[in-house]
Amino acid sequence: MSSLSNLLLPAVLFFALGCIARLIKSDLRFPPDLAKVLSIYLLMAIGLHGGHELAKADLVIALNSIMWALILGFTLPIIGYLILLVTRKVNPMDAAAISAHYGSVSAGTFLTAIAYLDSAGVDYESYPLIMLAVMESPAIIVGLILAAKARQSLQTDKSGLSPDGTAAVNADDNTGGFGELMRDAFTNGSVVILIGSMIIGAISMPSGMEKLFPFIDDIFMGVLCLFLFEMGMVAARRLGDFRQVGWLLAAFGIVMPLIGGMTGALVGHYILDFSVGGATLVAVLGSSASYIAVPPAMRLAVPEANPSFYLTLSLGITFPFNVMIGIPLYHGVVQSIAV
Amino acid sequence: MVTLYPEKLINIITNDALEDKLVDSFRKYGVSGYTILRARGAGSSGRQADMTGFDANILVKVIMPEERMQDLLDSLERKIHKGYHLTVFITDIEVMTPGKFDKTLS
Repeated sequence: MSSLSNLLLPAVLFFALGCIARLIKSDLRFPPDLAKVLSIYLLMAIGLHGGHELAKADLVIALNSIMWALILGFTLPIIGYLILLVTRKVNPMDAAAISAHYGSVSAGTFLTAIAYLDSAGVDYESYPLIMLAVMESPAIIVGLILAAKARQSLQTDKSGLSPDGTAAVNADDNTGGFGELMRDAFTNGSVVILIGSMIIGAISMPSGMEKLFPFIDDIFMGVLCLFLFEMGMVAARRLGDFRQVGWLLAAFGIVMPLIGGMTGALVGHYILDFSVGGATLVAVLGSSASYIAVPPAMRLAVPEANPSFYLTLSLGITFPFNVMIGIPLYHGVVQSIAV
Repeated sequence: MVTLYPEKLINIITNDALEDKLVDSFRKYGVSGYTILRARGAGSSGRQADMTGFDANILVKVIMPEERMQDLLDSLERKIHKGYHLTVFITDIEVMTPGKFDKTLS
């Protein structure tokens, strides 16, 4: 399947329509919170479906997938952080916050990849779905650790940084306790929906699950179209902030998913020994950048970082890149190494 | 003629990720109540829109007697020094029921 036929998937076409609607300044607006509603449905449906499949899965492979999801989640942000520091375009705080987004995952990209594989008739394992749930959180931890290091070195560099000196170490205001942030990272809404639905899908009676299939299967692609339609508008709006980001950082928004995608493809194919479809999904996990779980976590934990950097990169550049070009590219790469 | 009593209205514009932290401070520093609205606009941290609900702004309103608000303002200032994006402005207002603002949140 060529990249042209990926562009002709209805879901991807709706993403493009959303972008165009913003670019021609259409008055089209979705009701507030619709994207949130749609993503709750999508996570629930994919979770139920995956859980149902995973009930038949091999525990050893599942545990191995979880371990590699953790390894990817912990390693990718560090790679991203080092690359960002080399560009010298952002300070270490921004670098920490941005790289946390790239170690985490985007469920929207993952679901588009599922749509792509389904329409290409490519089979895939259900293990990458557990990896999706696992990979939401580790990168947040790495981001916090990198930011804490950067904060320390900034404070030793210039101790007069904050106007009243002691402000940054004054811990009275419950801002940024490590344990609390960890709890936030692991009780994040999308993690709860995804893991909860997977468990429900795995333990429900098969007859009960069959009744659910019209809800989780038949309308799934339609809802994905609506979701990507709105995400197209969101991405196009973020792209307006492109000038603030600059071309070198924008290039990072494309280079980093390529690095993550290639790493994921290698891990999926050689280490986890997945089929072409399964390894493509691992590549998509490696390449995608979070825009739901990580931004609020970074706003809380790394307030010094500029949100328009990480939001523009993740939503305005990496997400569209992966949806339109990345997914077929990673599929092609996995196909070529699998031969 | 209705009697009106002077109070201060503390307005805070910030990102909704900070809502829980702010509410914790309100309880800690003796606020009698608060109102939170969703907001959108643009400012020093770029455009803030609530279209998706993924990255929305909020406008928080707290009514307090002037003599009790200093601790809360200090804590907001500490947050700003830590790098949190808070826009804080205080207005003079008149209320009909001053007793409402004496009790602290439990």
